[in-house]
Amino acid sequence: MTLKSIQTPLLEVSDLCTTFWAGTASIPAVRDVSFSVNKGEVLGLVGESGSGKSVTLRSILGLSRRYGETTGSVMWRGQNLVETPEAGMRRIRGGEIAMIFQEPMTSLNPLLTVGVQIDETLKAHTDMSASERKKRAVEMLDVVGIPAAGSRLGEYPHQFSGGMRQRVMIAIALAARPKMLLADEPTTALDVTIQAQILDLILSLAQDFDMGVVLVTHDLGVVAQTCDQVAVMYAGRIVEQGPVRPVLRAPQHPYTVGLMRSVPENVPPRTPLYSIPGTPPSLLNLPAGCAFAARCSQKTTACDTSRPELVGAGTGRTVACFNQVKNAGGAAA
Amino acid sequence: MSEPVLEVRDVSLSFKGKRTVLDVVSNRPPRNVNALNGVSLDLQRGETLGVVGESGCGKSTLARCIVRLHEPGGGQVLFHGKDVFTAQERKDRTYNRRVQMMFQDPYSSLNPRMTTGQILSEALRVHEMCSEAELPGRLADLMELVQLPADALDKYPHQFSGGQRQRIAIARALAVEPEVLIADELVSALDVSVQAQIVNLLLDLQQRLGLTILFVAHDLRLVRHVSNRVAVIYLGRIVELGDSETLFAKPSHPYSQALLSAAPSLDPDDKGRKIHLEGELPSPLDIPQGCPFHVRCRHKTPKCTTELPELRPIPGRGAAACHHAEEIENA
Repeated sequence: MTLKSIQTPLLEVSDLCTTFWAGTASIPAVRDVSFSVNKGEVLGLVGESGSGKSVTLRSILGLSRRYGETTGSVMWRGQNLVETPEAGMRRIRGGEIAMIFQEPMTSLNPLLTVGVQIDETLKAHTDMSASERKKRAVEMLDVVGIPAAGSRLGEYPHQFSGGMRQRVMIAIALAARPKMLLADEPTTALDVTIQAQILDLILSLAQDFDMGVVLVTHDLGVVAQTCDQVAVMYAGRIVEQGPVRPVLRAPQHPYTVGLMRSVPENVPPRTPLYSIPGTPPSLLNLPAGCAFAARCSQKTTACDTSRPELVGAGTGRTVACFNQVKNAGGAAA
Repeated sequence: MSEPVLEVRDVSLSFKGKRTVLDVVSNRPPRNVNALNGVSLDLQRGETLGVVGESGCGKSTLARCIVRLHEPGGGQVLFHGKDVFTAQERKDRTYNRRVQMMFQDPYSSLNPRMTTGQILSEALRVHEMCSEAELPGRLADLMELVQLPADALDKYPHQFSGGQRQRIAIARALAVEPEVLIADELVSALDVSVQAQIVNLLLDLQQRLGLTILFVAHDLRLVRHVSNRVAVIYLGRIVELGDSETLFAKPSHPYSQALLSAAPSLDPDDKGRKIHLEGELPSPLDIPQGCPFHVRCRHKTPKCTTELPELRPIPGRGAAACHHAEEIENA
């Protein structure tokens, strides 16, 4: 741990903001998001749909440029990716920083064989010869646990099951040996048994290749089992951030507390589950104060008028709340 | 024990694969997808029976068989002791009314061109539940029942969130005063906090209206929370059936054990004791001989590769279909 804290982070995101335009209205999809990821470390990004998790990932790689505006900085090996022109980004995408998209069913090209799709990445980012590339492709399919890898290279995506297609996506992402992996809900569409296999695979690869990982998910169980750090997002902002253990054991932001309590674990069966009242605010019409105030049980007058900043709250974590929850029941409570 | 409301007896269903000319010429046997292979279960009045399993195991096919969306190739579905697939029963629409299904995808299971009011009144009119004069009052009651505002009746499905749409689907099912609800992955498409709201609503309605629920889902925590009893399905067969708490605390079948241990715990330090399943679900086109689970099982013996285990009661637990259920320690 001490060694890790001295080294400079692999990826450092600071004050990342992404705004989309809908006619004349602006949609603040991501606001002031800052985090850093070290080598071999896994950061979990959690939140409900529409909280800005996926947009954050896409903004890191400049994939939301075409539709919106990104400001702030994403420092990657001394280079600010937000200001890097498109040509430079193409070299980084898939080569140094790889991404796994959410839907394995739609993110592979149905008209190209799996082998061609792995080869494509290698052609673009390495100077390997054709035979070396073929060898690497077989090796990657083998690493992600696809049996009879050599013969399956010539098959098309429809010949693979959902779990297998997600493995192919991972193989493509990792083929060029990236230093950083951005995974957008890599296991959401899969069964628990396959999910466990895929997560173990990502973890062991992170260790073997010393790769940093940002894992977007809405499953708190996945975060607990795989991540070192976690950031909880709500309405485009990070509301609580820190090492997984303290955050999940004793969440301090009322939203994190609510999320943890809505999961039916350690509650008597067939009793009403806790649910956070209300719905998330529309991004078109965010309140002036804390975005969570309308649904919060800890709300005071200050919450309606001013927005809480992320401040240190001990054990290496930061919380954006005026009335932090103390001694809230976490997972092990 | 009271008489079951609904009995599924040895139901099997296989979907016929396409036979090409070449298949016929070379006399190859037809490739059939064996979705259900002799499933038997019963639903007692007022209980919730959870059905879990991996995708492709036949959970949804079973649900669809029960509501007569598929006709089983063999076996019977009995409702209050009467076979629902006889010609006479088929003409009668009361079964359709008394057993209602709610679907997984709230975005495609509601007609986008009909308002909530029209969707609900269609159900009421088809089953002649009330006179035209009583209709507005009944609609208002239904909205209140599923905790939606009254003005929701004039809105179209696209104006609602996923959670609200599932409430409309629940209202549509409840409109015709059913006895049994079949919930096929009712909350899978929703966020955790919304899931909790819908599950609370379902539990509350069940208590107030005395409903019997078949709850099909792949989220094991949720199934444990809502169910009285649970059935674990593997390749179209029930491999374990028992009281929810016992099954989750002490699963007997090696597949249930692996399935339960694969669900990620919320406790970061609870990492051990994971049982890894090798490989994936075998294709239902080609189900292995003997115990269908033996190709992925850690405990397999030669007996498992040849002999199909029957679902049998295990002392102190529920019923399991495994030759070695007694010897296998709860790992």
